[in-house]
Amino acid sequence: MRTRIVTLMLSGTLLCATAMAQSSALRLPSPLEKELAARASNVTEVTLGKNMLTFAAKFMNGDDKNDTAARQLIEGLDGIYVRDYEFDKPGQYSIEEIENLRKAFETPEWTPIVRERDRKSAETTDVMMKMVNGQSQGMFVLSAEPKELAIVLILGPIRMNELGALKGLGGLGNLGALPELKQRGAQPNTGAKPDAGKDGTQ
Amino acid sequence: MRVWLWLPLCAAATVVLLVAMAPRESGFNGVVSSIGSRYHAHATQIPMTGLISMMALGATHGGVGDLHLAQFEHFSGPIDGDELNRMVGEKLGPGWDRMIRETSRNGSEQTLIFSRPEGGRMGLFVVDLDGHELDVVQVSVDPDHLNESIAHYESDGAKSD
Repeated sequence: MRTRIVTLMLSGTLLCATAMAQSSALRLPSPLEKELAARASNVTEVTLGKNMLTFAAKFMNGDDKNDTAARQLIEGLDGIYVRDYEFDKPGQYSIEEIENLRKAFETPEWTPIVRERDRKSAETTDVMMKMVNGQSQGMFVLSAEPKELAIVLILGPIRMNELGALKGLGGLGNLGALPELKQRGAQPNTGAKPDAGKDGTQ
Repeated sequence: MRVWLWLPLCAAATVVLLVAMAPRESGFNGVVSSIGSRYHAHATQIPMTGLISMMALGATHGGVGDLHLAQFEHFSGPIDGDELNRMVGEKLGPGWDRMIRETSRNGSEQTLIFSRPEGGRMGLFVVDLDGHELDVVQVSVDPDHLNESIAHYESDGAKSD
């Protein structure tokens, strides 16, 4: 009887842990996500978990080198999360909210690699890499424009030079411009905002 | 006298119990009926959907099948995107993951795409509102066979160019 109770408790804990792990995959402060969505005129959310990515990789079974590279990259990823908020007018989100988004990734394993600020156009771009034992295990991109806010989180082993291979997943191929952005340093109007539009992501 | 009092009470209790225990529609039909009742809209019946589904299965060599389609026309009033998202998610049930959601604040445009693995196939469930028309589509896709069909059409297109 006692064994059964312990088993039930362990199963319950495991289920809760799994549920929590799934809900916290994006790592964004949940209320903030809802608030931004409530203020935005258009919201696009793309959520591709491990299962879906594994399955999506099956669609890339072409013989050419690009397809093979893309398939290998996608199969290795744990998740791709995109949030894109479009606003009617500037000032619909505050600098504090952007800072809160950045703070969610200010942990020792996340390293900032691009930090772009353009005072004239009020555009900012942040790119952070998750490094575990010297290996890149994720990437976070935050691109803020006066009337648009784009967030991309890629979890799993990924290298900058492989990002272009994600073009198979809609406008995410624009992330291929990131290595160039990193090399050139902070320059205006070179944001790495992904095109997460409806057409590109289906 | 007491028997006459208890009899209607028992009958009423039985009815309540049966209603509570009645299987609630889920999946495609559940979503369609929920949208219909919530927004007071009527889904247009598309005749011979089963036949179309079989034809699609044959034409794509098994790439696309299990097609379900419902169309709501003359949708009036804006839709709360959160409510629609919650309702569709609840009616689809476990196993379906929302992959894409696009929503406009004025409620005139909403797109929800759910997916679920179905063995070697993938189930896709799409709810799309554009203005006054809302479409609900469920389809089962086999990536391997679909790729073959796409490649076939692509090569045909290249030849015609």
